[in-house]
Amino acid sequence: MNWSFVLSNAITLACIYGTLAIGISLTWSSLGLVNMAFGFIFALSGYGAWLASINIGAQPAIVMAAGILTGAFGGLIVCLLAFIPIHDKPNFPLRALIATLAISLIGNQALLWYFGPRAKSLPRLFGSWNADIFGVIVTSDKLGASASAIVLLTLILLWMRSSRRGLEIRAMMMNPHAASIVGIGVRRTGFYVMALTGSLAGLASVLLAQTYYVAPFSGITPMVKGLSIALVGGLGSVPGAVIGAVLIGLNEALTSTLLGGQYVLITQFLLIIVVLLVRPRGIAGLLDKAREA
Amino acid sequence: MTDTAQPIWIDPTDCLYPENAAREAPTNPHLSHQTTWNETRAFKPRMHPVGRLRYYYKWPGHGGRLWWRKRYWPTRRRFLQIRGEYNPKTMRREKTIVDKRPIWWILGFIALVLGPAVVPAASWNTVMSAAAVFGIYAAINLCWMLIIGTAGIFSLASYAVVGAAAYGTTYLAIQLGLPWWMLPLVGAAIGLAFGLIIGLPAMRLDGFYYALLTLGVVELCRVYVVQSREFGSATGGLYGAPSYLPASLGQMPRLLFGYYASLALMLFALAVYRFIDGRRLGRVLRMAPEKREAFAQACGVDFIRARIMVFLISSTALGFIGGFYAIHFGGASPNLFSFDTVLLSLAMLVIGGIGRSEGAVAGTAIVVFIDRVLIDLGPLRYMLIGAIMLAVVLFLREGLFGIKRQFRTWRDKKKSERRATRAEKGGEMLPEEATETADKDQIFFRRFDKMQRDFLKRLVTDTVIEEHRTRPLGQHSEALERLLIYFRRQGQVDKYAIMVLEEFKAYRIVALSGHRGTAPRVVEDSLYPTPDEAYHALFLRRVQDLLET
Repeated sequence: MNWSFVLSNAITLACIYGTLAIGISLTWSSLGLVNMAFGFIFALSGYGAWLASINIGAQPAIVMAAGILTGAFGGLIVCLLAFIPIHDKPNFPLRALIATLAISLIGNQALLWYFGPRAKSLPRLFGSWNADIFGVIVTSDKLGASASAIVLLTLILLWMRSSRRGLEIRAMMMNPHAASIVGIGVRRTGFYVMALTGSLAGLASVLLAQTYYVAPFSGITPMVKGLSIALVGGLGSVPGAVIGAVLIGLNEALTSTLLGGQYVLITQFLLIIVVLLVRPRGIAGLLDKAREA
Repeated sequence: MTDTAQPIWIDPTDCLYPENAAREAPTNPHLSHQTTWNETRAFKPRMHPVGRLRYYYKWPGHGGRLWWRKRYWPTRRRFLQIRGEYNPKTMRREKTIVDKRPIWWILGFIALVLGPAVVPAASWNTVMSAAAVFGIYAAINLCWMLIIGTAGIFSLASYAVVGAAAYGTTYLAIQLGLPWWMLPLVGAAIGLAFGLIIGLPAMRLDGFYYALLTLGVVELCRVYVVQSREFGSATGGLYGAPSYLPASLGQMPRLLFGYYASLALMLFALAVYRFIDGRRLGRVLRMAPEKREAFAQACGVDFIRARIMVFLISSTALGFIGGFYAIHFGGASPNLFSFDTVLLSLAMLVIGGIGRSEGAVAGTAIVVFIDRVLIDLGPLRYMLIGAIMLAVVLFLREGLFGIKRQFRTWRDKKKSERRATRAEKGGEMLPEEATETADKDQIFFRRFDKMQRDFLKRLVTDTVIEEHRTRPLGQHSEALERLLIYFRRQGQVDKYAIMVLEEFKAYRIVALSGHRGTAPRVVEDSLYPTPDEAYHALFLRRVQDLLET
């Protein structure tokens, strides 16, 4: 059993799923919206990147930018349909959840209808070379995926920390009502947040398409994984999502080496249950400071 | 009256001498005293042609059977909730059906039972198999509605419970050779066990954490079933469960039999729904809605226990349905665990409206019809379902069956907005003042007085003032006479009067105090040389005051 191979694989997946988890977590904590259309945004941006690689050019920068931009566009669509009309109406969290599920249903079927069930593959963004890090052979796509995910996430987190918009988003995370009182527009911030998280989904989609394919329903499994990581880490907490991603990645690596690949989901699920039973709001989530819709 | 020609005044006293021609004189044109009254009392609000009143049919009540109540076991409820009352106008006994839903339910059942007779022969197979699916899905959705609506646990794993029971019973039936009637019972046991496992986290997690967790459970089950060899990863499902249909039946009777069996299953689920939601557990949980749990707990309501009880009972029922699923379809397919199934069934619940049994059944009917009967549409039919779901969520608060209440709320809001714009200020009592006043006549007097002043203001014209200036006393035109009568009728407090300083030389306007022993106060310095001029000045002052109010 090649430990280093499994470990590097798990770290790559953790980086990608962590990107998704941070997107889900940000949306929930700042807007109070569980974005179940994340899988649709994921698949949509995969198709956007594929179209760009066919029609414009297969350069890595173009493909990645196309994926990220399509993801942001998908996020804006979800915001326009599921957040703007009902964010001040009664029973918003449940209705928004169902609205995003409906968007996911429509969107996935539209993708199936338009592009057909055949999977598409993206061009290799990071070439095909191997690197030798401390005696571990790492393929280029894994290294590139991890590196670009980490770099982009760091950039986004720095932007969240230091810019005016980031301050607005963080204010919304703390207390949306008070934020709106001091003049932070709820709808405007909704647009920023949804575009940002959509672009995160687009990034994850392009990176994951290096190993898997682009298909109409390819987004559901990553979304479920991202959701579970966000849950374990605590919804609304970025460091928690990082810890959760590492934990789930380690679990995946260990289970598939020690027990076998088919037990990965079972151990992962048991891990989530145990973590949530001990800390009902996740590892880094605070029990009392939960967002009250 | 007439605005164009100058009206003619006829001396009313001439009727005493009918043999002579009546005296006539031209007079000032004036408004009818009815105009303001008519304008104020006119019904101005814009009314919509429908739904102005709640219409209830009034049944006559028989004296002898006044207290006759038919109740059904095991509750003390009546078949129809009927309110008896006396009509205050006719003093007759009347009966009103307050809740008509049982009537609709029974009509719906009759339609479902007689439905197969009107299905066209060309699409018999499609429609009847879809109708059987409708019965099973409606049963599942009713149990799920108990979990989401009554217990308030947002679980997405109901189909996972059904699927687990279906797979488990099929597996056991293949291994042990169980007869068909054992399968739902075994399924109920499996459902209870599964419910215990996934119900435990529900005690600590709330809302969306639990929803996302159960979504993970569904995905876990799907992946496990798709990969596992003993659960038929190769054949796309596990098949080989015994069927409850007699083997000798032909194609059409088989479908018909299956349809009625799944209808019976739906009735079973409705009974479960009614006996949980309508009785003690449902009442207890209605006491503890979301965000008011702390209050309920402080009142001594153990809502967590009630929730878990509801969850376990519905999981058992879902397991039973899973066993029925196995004997109906002859096995189980991984489709039960797919994300699309969760989505579609959530669409069924949402379209009908969460928290009501008729919503679950009607939503299931709509979605199953689009999904199973309109097959020619291809992927477009899922987009249709998604569009309906999105529209319902964006525009309706409680699904299709909440439209009535939402419309009434909206109409009441509009009504009160219009009423607020219509309310006229000035002179009239405000509602708070009106409730404080002991003498209720004052309310009506002031309302009348305001209307009268509104009318009199419109009578003040230059011709009327000129007429008064030329002849303050004596015969007047109707407009001037009405004004003067109103002025004379006012109370003594601050009523204007003329004080004679020196006869035929100096007159002055004063205001009476209205109290004995208190001298009138002087209102202006100017002296008038003749009584007529003083009269006119006083008249102008009163007109001024009238126009200012």
